[in-house]
Amino acid sequence: MKKVIMGNHAVSWGVRLARAEVIAAYPITPQTQVVEELSEMCATGALHARFIKVESEHSAMAACVGAASAGARAFTATSAQGLALMHEMLHWAALARLPIVVVDINRAMAPGWTIWTDQNDSLSQRDTGCLQFYCESNQEVLDSTIQAFKIGEAVDLPVLIVLDAFYLSHTFEPVDIPDQAEVDAFLPKRVARYRLDTNDPRSFGALTPPAVYMELRLRQQEAMEQALKVVDEVDEEWGRRFGRRYGAVESYRTEGAELVLVASGTIASTTRYVVDQLREQGEKVGLVKARLFRPFPTEAMRNALAGVPHVAVLDRNISPGHCGIFAEEIRAALYDLEPGRRPAIHGYIIGLGGRDVKPENIIDCIDRTRATARSGKPAPREDVWVGVQP
Amino acid sequence: MPEDRSASDIVHGVPPIAVSSGSTLANRTGSWKYIRPIYQDMVAPCNAACPVGIDIEGYLNLVREGKVAEARDLLLRENPMPAVTGRVCDHPCQTHCNRAFFDDAVNIHAVERMLGDLEPEVRVPVLARTRQEKVAIVGSGPAGLSCAYHLARLGYAVTVFEADPEPGGALRYGIPEYRLPRNVLVREIERIRAQGVTIQCGVSVGDNLPWKPLESYDAVFLATGARVSRPLELAGTEAADVRPGLEFLREVEAGERRTIGRRVVVVGGTDTAVDCARAALRLGADPIVVCQGTRADVSAHAEAIEEAIREGVRFEFQVWPVGVQTSEHPEHEEPLEAIRTMYVEGEGDRPKVRLVSVECMRMRPGEPDPSGARRALPIQGTNFIIPADTMLTALGEEPDLGFLPPEITRKGYVVKVDEFGHTNRAGFFAGGDITGEPRTVAHSLGSGKRAAIGIDRYLRQRAGETLQDCVPQALRLGGSGNFSITRWRQDDPIRRTNPVNEVVPLEKLNLAHFTSVPGKPDRHRSFEERRSSFAEANLGLTTNEALAEARRCFNCGVCNRCELCLIFCPDVAIKRHPSGHAFSLSYKYCKGCGVCVKECPRGAMTMTREGL
Repeated sequence: MKKVIMGNHAVSWGVRLARAEVIAAYPITPQTQVVEELSEMCATGALHARFIKVESEHSAMAACVGAASAGARAFTATSAQGLALMHEMLHWAALARLPIVVVDINRAMAPGWTIWTDQNDSLSQRDTGCLQFYCESNQEVLDSTIQAFKIGEAVDLPVLIVLDAFYLSHTFEPVDIPDQAEVDAFLPKRVARYRLDTNDPRSFGALTPPAVYMELRLRQQEAMEQALKVVDEVDEEWGRRFGRRYGAVESYRTEGAELVLVASGTIASTTRYVVDQLREQGEKVGLVKARLFRPFPTEAMRNALAGVPHVAVLDRNISPGHCGIFAEEIRAALYDLEPGRRPAIHGYIIGLGGRDVKPENIIDCIDRTRATARSGKPAPREDVWVGVQP
Repeated sequence: MPEDRSASDIVHGVPPIAVSSGSTLANRTGSWKYIRPIYQDMVAPCNAACPVGIDIEGYLNLVREGKVAEARDLLLRENPMPAVTGRVCDHPCQTHCNRAFFDDAVNIHAVERMLGDLEPEVRVPVLARTRQEKVAIVGSGPAGLSCAYHLARLGYAVTVFEADPEPGGALRYGIPEYRLPRNVLVREIERIRAQGVTIQCGVSVGDNLPWKPLESYDAVFLATGARVSRPLELAGTEAADVRPGLEFLREVEAGERRTIGRRVVVVGGTDTAVDCARAALRLGADPIVVCQGTRADVSAHAEAIEEAIREGVRFEFQVWPVGVQTSEHPEHEEPLEAIRTMYVEGEGDRPKVRLVSVECMRMRPGEPDPSGARRALPIQGTNFIIPADTMLTALGEEPDLGFLPPEITRKGYVVKVDEFGHTNRAGFFAGGDITGEPRTVAHSLGSGKRAAIGIDRYLRQRAGETLQDCVPQALRLGGSGNFSITRWRQDDPIRRTNPVNEVVPLEKLNLAHFTSVPGKPDRHRSFEERRSSFAEANLGLTTNEALAEARRCFNCGVCNRCELCLIFCPDVAIKRHPSGHAFSLSYKYCKGCGVCVKECPRGAMTMTREGL
């Protein structure tokens, strides 16, 4: 069934089809419609979930932690300050190995007070132990939300699905909504490995001395490593069942490219358009879309970029005092390639706080990268801020 | 969690999460505590406020549980006339209802009325006559009938003597039919008769029944009521059109019809005054009630005043008559056709001196006297005339104690009794309006019950029985309410856990667990219908509405097994008791955190010192 829906409702539909059992959320622009629609679905009986109203995002995540600990499939969604408030509980979910799915509608952090998109809210959660996916279209949002439950439950880790405020959350696109029966076949009911059970009382998360704590962290890391494989397997199965695949990293028209742009979220969509235009003119430009951020798909990224002379990374985020976060991660991933195959990485900071990223801005990045390349100088150590006032 | 799960999940020597390999039951967290929670039933404020001494919270809870017949029986244990009190009681239970601080008080009287009106599928069991003693009761008003009912149920042979031709006393002759339909009253009296009570009407003590034969009874309960209207000391009130209101109500009840005319002035701020006005309205008059006090400080029930005003009765507060004008040939008399329904005495008796008008003055509160009361004073120069065909006086009633032997001690106008209704003379008890009891139906029913307990106690002591240690306070609901006969009989059908005889304070309730549900007010007959008929004005609630009202009850102070304690206990130390009547609390694991006590919505749990 095709429906024209906004990105936020694509999330709601994904959660509904995944048959989440507990939903706890606190409203925040631009996330609100996600849970608004879910509350309707619960009220009408379309979704048989316990909808818990809470007084904060910390409580929302805490409620999901409780529900998931009891064996339920749990979901929450938030943005920006809300996600920051969840931070403590995200660590808890990850170390308690609870496969909660969290949708974050990327919204820049305040102050100044803002509701518009950028990625600093989700990227600040990098080290919590949640998987992170960045989505480009409403279809991908719906598909990724359903996949997230399967992936998370396979490795017992929470999953963060990320989409841009307004550019995706409030934009209507045609979305193919899979049949419930087909989704049920893809995603059976969650069977928790461990769950709270009053008939078998155990202590969960109790004091863990140095003699054993480190091993728990090792096991979490191994689960993350395993997740890389699971992401591909699940994506492959999804493609088989529903005819759509996304991959952890997507290479688009990179054959023989002299310059590859790396982008995520809706900027990947605009870049795709620019690449198409330039390829029409015979220019050797391609796109690598970074979809999976954690666990970082090092191998896939190396395969996509090794041997490309110049890579321009478009970061809608900044790690203050350092550089764009995707650029930083990609530099690290490619560092030990043999010198002839290691691209020059050009970092661009773009579109913070929801500033529109237009095709001409991306062309500007391409022009600057080419100018540096032509000059024979190495890529600058500092990122270029695109479109800012002098 | 299957046993083999954790073993197979061990990698690097640890499971994937920080989970204990053994059961936490090994950890006796109960050893940490120095205070412990207990379940402790307290007394709901409605119960303590009820002048009858009904376990209101108990029957509302039974209704909530769907046990309507049990609820009715629990109510009938304490109150023989729920269909009456459900209509005419001014329901202090609702004034004290904690729900009033949250949204609206539970409409308790409507639930009581519904239960009272239930057709008894199973008749209220008649208890066996187990006592040899005989008890005489003088007066069949609410106090007398209540005492008779409870004594019969305690196993005594009871005879009620009533001076009037029909039983009921003030219920029949003081409360008009639009407030208490006679078929309802008759049904209630039949219920009392069915307990084995004999009622002899037309027997007046000191008149056709001498005092002497009463002394042959093992005990006597005197409840002759207050039937003498206080006079209005005013020149000219000897005119035939100036009459005591109570007499008017009796005549209306008896079906005697006498002209009252259209312009009726009722003097007084009593319930009788309001009833006179509402009855006169129904007979076609345009009544005016003049009261000395403000609307807030007259003795009539506020709801009754409200209804009377809505029906079209005019009230003049802080106004008092200072004179009447009469005439032997009243010129103001209206053409006969203008005088609609009337009550008329024989044509030949028409008095010569007729009322023309009532002169009134506006009043103001005077300086407080030593007792703090502010006696109303007239405001000079405010005189005005109200044309009147009839003036009804309703300044309150006094008992007539003329029939009493002098050795029975009085206290002012009333008979002196102890908490059990016992007079100074052994075996002679009194209750209702001839004692100092507040003049309401509910208080009379309550005092009749207290006397029944007093008589039972007296006769059993006389028979040489060793009785339970009986502190009146222990019989009083909440320590200060009315006696509970269930407590006296010690046969409470409701299981109580560590009961304490204290009213649960509002602060002990956790209102966060309740959601606002507005109360359902009574339905009423239309004003058009009310103005032309004595049909019942207040229609109460439908059965379903009354059931919904019962579900609004907080069950203050009493565990209704909502299970929140069980849900909130972080140590899973609370389990459902196999009996289904309570919870078992494992002190082996309860660490005394007090969450259960804090969360209990109704204050039915409390913390106690460990080891006590």
